[in-house]
Amino acid sequence: MREIWKHIEPEHLFFCYECSRCTGSCPAAMVLDTPGPRRILVSCLYSGPNAVTGDESLWYCTTCHVCEDRCPQELHIVELLTALMNVAAARGNIPDKVRAVVDKIARTGRSVVTYRVDEERIRFGLSPLSQINVEEVEALAARTGLFEKVKSRP
Amino acid sequence: MAQPEKKKKPQTQGLRIGVYVCHCGLNIGGVVDCRAVAEYAASLPDVTLAVDSMYTCSDPGQEQIKADILEHDLNRVVVASCTPRLHEPTFRAAVGEAGLNSYLLEMANIREHCSWVHLHDKEAATAKAKDLVRMAVARARLLAPQTEIVVPVTRRALVLGGGVAGIQASLDLANAGYKVGLVERSGSIGGRMAQIDKTFPTMDCSICILAPKMSEVGRHRNIELMTLSELESVEGYVGNFKVKVRQRPRYVTDKCTSCGDCVAECPQLAPNDFDAGLSTRRGIYIPFAQAVPSTYLIDMDMCLNKEGIVACDKCYQACQHNCIDFSQKDEIHHLEVGAIIVATGMDVYDPTPLTEFGYRKFPNVITSLEFERLINAGGPSSGRLIRPSDGRSPEKVAFLQCIGSRSFRSNVYCSSICCMNTIKDVLLIKEHWPETEVSVHYIDIRAYGKGFEELFRRARMEGVQFIRGLPGEIIENYKTRNLTLIGEDTLQGTIYRKEADMVVLSVGVEPRSDSEVIQRMLNLSQAADGFLLEAHPKLRPVDTPVSGVFLAGCVEGPKDIRESVTQASAAASRANILMAQGQVSVEAITARVNEDLCTGCGLCAAVCPFKSIRLEGEGKDKKAVVIEASCAGCGTCAAECPFGAIEQNHFTDRQILSQVQAATEAEPEKLIVAFCCNWCSYAGADFAGVSRMQYPAAVRIIRTMCSGRVSTKFIGEAFRRGAAVVLVSGCHIGDCHYINANVQTEKRVQKLWKRMEKGGLDPNRLQLAWISAAEGNLFAARIAEAAQIVAKVTPAEIERSREFFKPKKKGMTLERNMEAHRT
Amino acid sequence: MKYSLFTGCFIPARYPGFEAATREVLRLLDVELADLDFSCCPPTTNVKLVNYDTWLALAARNLCLSEEQGLNILSICNGCTATLTEANKKLKEKPGQRRKVNHLLKDFGHRFEGTIQVHHLGPLLNRTIGLEAIRERVVRPLKGLRIAAHYGCHYFRPPRVMFPHSLTASASYVPVGVDNIVSALGGDPIQYSRKFLCCGSVLGANIGGDDTYGVVWEKLQHMADREAEAIVVPCPSCFNQFEMGQVMAKRRKKIKFNLPVFYITELVALAFGLDPERFGLTEHTIKTKNFLDKIA
Repeated sequence: MREIWKHIEPEHLFFCYECSRCTGSCPAAMVLDTPGPRRILVSCLYSGPNAVTGDESLWYCTTCHVCEDRCPQELHIVELLTALMNVAAARGNIPDKVRAVVDKIARTGRSVVTYRVDEERIRFGLSPLSQINVEEVEALAARTGLFEKVKSRP
Repeated sequence: MAQPEKKKKPQTQGLRIGVYVCHCGLNIGGVVDCRAVAEYAASLPDVTLAVDSMYTCSDPGQEQIKADILEHDLNRVVVASCTPRLHEPTFRAAVGEAGLNSYLLEMANIREHCSWVHLHDKEAATAKAKDLVRMAVARARLLAPQTEIVVPVTRRALVLGGGVAGIQASLDLANAGYKVGLVERSGSIGGRMAQIDKTFPTMDCSICILAPKMSEVGRHRNIELMTLSELESVEGYVGNFKVKVRQRPRYVTDKCTSCGDCVAECPQLAPNDFDAGLSTRRGIYIPFAQAVPSTYLIDMDMCLNKEGIVACDKCYQACQHNCIDFSQKDEIHHLEVGAIIVATGMDVYDPTPLTEFGYRKFPNVITSLEFERLINAGGPSSGRLIRPSDGRSPEKVAFLQCIGSRSFRSNVYCSSICCMNTIKDVLLIKEHWPETEVSVHYIDIRAYGKGFEELFRRARMEGVQFIRGLPGEIIENYKTRNLTLIGEDTLQGTIYRKEADMVVLSVGVEPRSDSEVIQRMLNLSQAADGFLLEAHPKLRPVDTPVSGVFLAGCVEGPKDIRESVTQASAAASRANILMAQGQVSVEAITARVNEDLCTGCGLCAAVCPFKSIRLEGEGKDKKAVVIEASCAGCGTCAAECPFGAIEQNHFTDRQILSQVQAATEAEPEKLIVAFCCNWCSYAGADFAGVSRMQYPAAVRIIRTMCSGRVSTKFIGEAFRRGAAVVLVSGCHIGDCHYINANVQTEKRVQKLWKRMEKGGLDPNRLQLAWISAAEGNLFAARIAEAAQIVAKVTPAEIERSREFFKPKKKGMTLERNMEAHRT
Repeated sequence: MKYSLFTGCFIPARYPGFEAATREVLRLLDVELADLDFSCCPPTTNVKLVNYDTWLALAARNLCLSEEQGLNILSICNGCTATLTEANKKLKEKPGQRRKVNHLLKDFGHRFEGTIQVHHLGPLLNRTIGLEAIRERVVRPLKGLRIAAHYGCHYFRPPRVMFPHSLTASASYVPVGVDNIVSALGGDPIQYSRKFLCCGSVLGANIGGDDTYGVVWEKLQHMADREAEAIVVPCPSCFNQFEMGQVMAKRRKKIKFNLPVFYITELVALAFGLDPERFGLTEHTIKTKNFLDKIA
């Protein structure tokens, strides 16, 4: 529990009276099978983070922040979900696509493949892609414990 | 129960103090060891007897005090219990009944300021309670008997606001035989109740039950009805208010028969406020059909005639009774009244900022007030429920609850009436147009009153769908102007897309946007939500902290018609109690001058907020004289006088200094000595207690009526005795109960800060805080902050301040000492 | 005015035409750009969700690179702007987090001082450069064509981070910047339902599956209902989503929206009279020919 609460103030979350304007606005809840921010928040408050960190639907959040915009109690829902996903990641519960792109960013400093990109760029009169100090990026990722998280499996 | 002590301890001739430590059930007793406190009290000099009892304020409790006074010949009484703001009158009365002067009572607040705020530190709470008792005993020793002066009370009342609350209060007082002035800002009395169609839970026609009361007011011989009027100024004090009311002209005389011929001729149009802007009215108009008075009026802001220049006289020409008079002017009414009832009502929340609902963007999204007018037979559509976009009747209507309430984005409180208002509205729809599909989107349904649950059940039986889950947003089909609500049904756990061709936003109520004006004029307090504050939420719900001013209706908080009427009658009753005897006694806390010491310098007169001190005499014989009847008892004069020549009865320098000394007897370097004013900061500390806000136990509170009473002498004495921190607190600037006495406090503290800095002392150790009666959390926070400062103050620093505040020469008063230090 | 240009990962690699258009447009508007060796921002939609500390450290590194040149950052992608703005704010306001990050960055010769601001193209064009300057240079106005602006979530949410000075009591900030730019270019910015709904691209990126297009399909339908003729976006992810959304709509639901999508500086470049082929405007997945013909 404490690992979540270092990121957000829990007392404020208890203001939730389940009006569900959040889930009612959530794009993920619109199209995918997820309990939605309300149920995730309430489960977390009363049953603890373990009740939700095993569920893949936690990762459906697009961080669009519409829920926070409309919440009458001004709860920082996305911050809570981010914290929960951080905890889920520590336990190895990361969707494959996310794991792959995060790993790529940490190792190459970019989130996209750069094969033959420079040829296209020259066509538009642009100089080749900039050189990124990949060692720095990788070292920072390593020192902040990223690789333990993406390597671990549930 | 400690027996009357006969051991040898210091005894002042003739003093026999009785101390009563109340358990208040477990409220105090569950945290503070009351028996130990009583035993400690028994050990104090001059205490003849000290007992602890379960409920001191109860009948048996009071009887015991009375019996003890007689049996043990007690001549001072100390009650350690709840806040004096609650029960000082109770115990004063009890003491008085036993033949002892009521002013020989002192109270120690060991509940709101002790047991309730130190719930988890029983040891510290008990130690603090002992200190508070010691302080109370120290003051009790120096109390002197007082006589209350009696002032005559004008047996006339002023009622501000002509809604149902104002109407009820006026009728009650008028029928009791008093003359009443009823001041209404708009052109007619009736208020919100006149706008509503039906009332819950009875489904009565609102204007039908209101109109008879309105006409009774209009023709009552004891009621002077002033419409188009506003309060301009108030002077005076309880029982003797001098009021100025400005009445704007109607430009139409009493000969008006309400025939309406003029309206057809008027070329000017304005939005009709009574219809919530859904229809228009002319420049000459009657607010609504059942208006009282029924005389028409001209809205000069719309009229083509201004400043006496008549450019258009169409109405004048049309009028066959010759009752239009463009030459009318503002009239000032001067009234002398004994009591004032504030019943100025509320405003409705405007949901435009909640952009996701599309109010004012989508024509078929309306507020509940607009709905009332549409469905009202006297409204813009003659009672037909129609869609603003095309005038058709809607087939699917959705109601959204809690719009503008229970939210940090608008108002935090619950508006109390919207749930029942919607239930009534949906029943009306089903009654007239049973085929309409109706849904109510809610978070909680609050059907708390008499008949409310039954009405809720009826709504469900009529097939109204109650969906728990407000929509995230509303989208519009711009061709049909139909709406879709997208949300989650929390009870089913499914996402819904509800089609509706009309959406009603059940908006909350809020204080009038200009309620501050009345509040300042009458020196009233606002609660955190902006509504006006009552004296005590449970026991004095219609009184205000200002004697003689009462509240009724929604000005005090959201409520329905029944509660408004109840409050109005309650306020009328309170006003009646005040005025019935024709006189009222003024609390004996007024100022008095010692002519031998007075030099006629006039400092006291300059700072008196009520202009109650005059200078009389010439040259060496010039002396200050206090007009006792208008002295409000703030004590600022006593704090300002450099010669100690003016004192406040019952709050003398010696009495307050004795409290400071008693507070700092043991381990002062760990303490915060706090001076709190009776009306705001002391009440704020009480509120922190009532709300069980916890804060460090290091504070000892000394009550004065006003922060203006806190003289530099008291602060200096606290530091001289080794206190770590001194906190001076009062009402916010501009909100002082004694108009502006706290401005003097501020000046004094600022001067003292400069001197402390120059003297090498940390000015942070003297804290100044403006805390209102509703700001319990602020009080708790300031004490917590002060406790941090206490932790950092070094023994060397304490010694320095002890030295700094010592009178340097023998016989020199502390005040003169301060003067000498001024460079 | 000089800024360090933060291109992000997507635009330089997948949509270099946007980058070329942006550089040329800004050159015409007298904005000088510096190119620093920024790495991926990194996104709040993947790295921050997996490990907050890594996200903050990598974002701080990027901010430091620009601080060291004494330049404010101009970012041309919503996501990058959100990351850098939030990281900048957190590091400026929370000394504990700043200390931790600086401790990590020390070994690489960086130190976050909090001296720069992060800007996005939309507000830059709107307020800093100003609509007048844009209007002056329009030689090929957009002929009142009905253009649906999609802001994308990270343009303005949460407003307490992205537009803290514009907060109202209800805290529901409604952006108008892109619409203003469309007007200044001579187009007709239309209103449509659920204008501020997310495009849903993150769902596809993180989870995948055809269902994730449901969000963008609804938006496309609302745009089509209001007779939009084109879509303009300030973010490459949203751009991709609107194009792919239309492709998938045709494939799965047999619906053809035929709504060409433009990145914001592409439209500006068009209105400034620049040659569309120069920036790849004729190479979009959703054909732009009809639109280009209309404004020729």
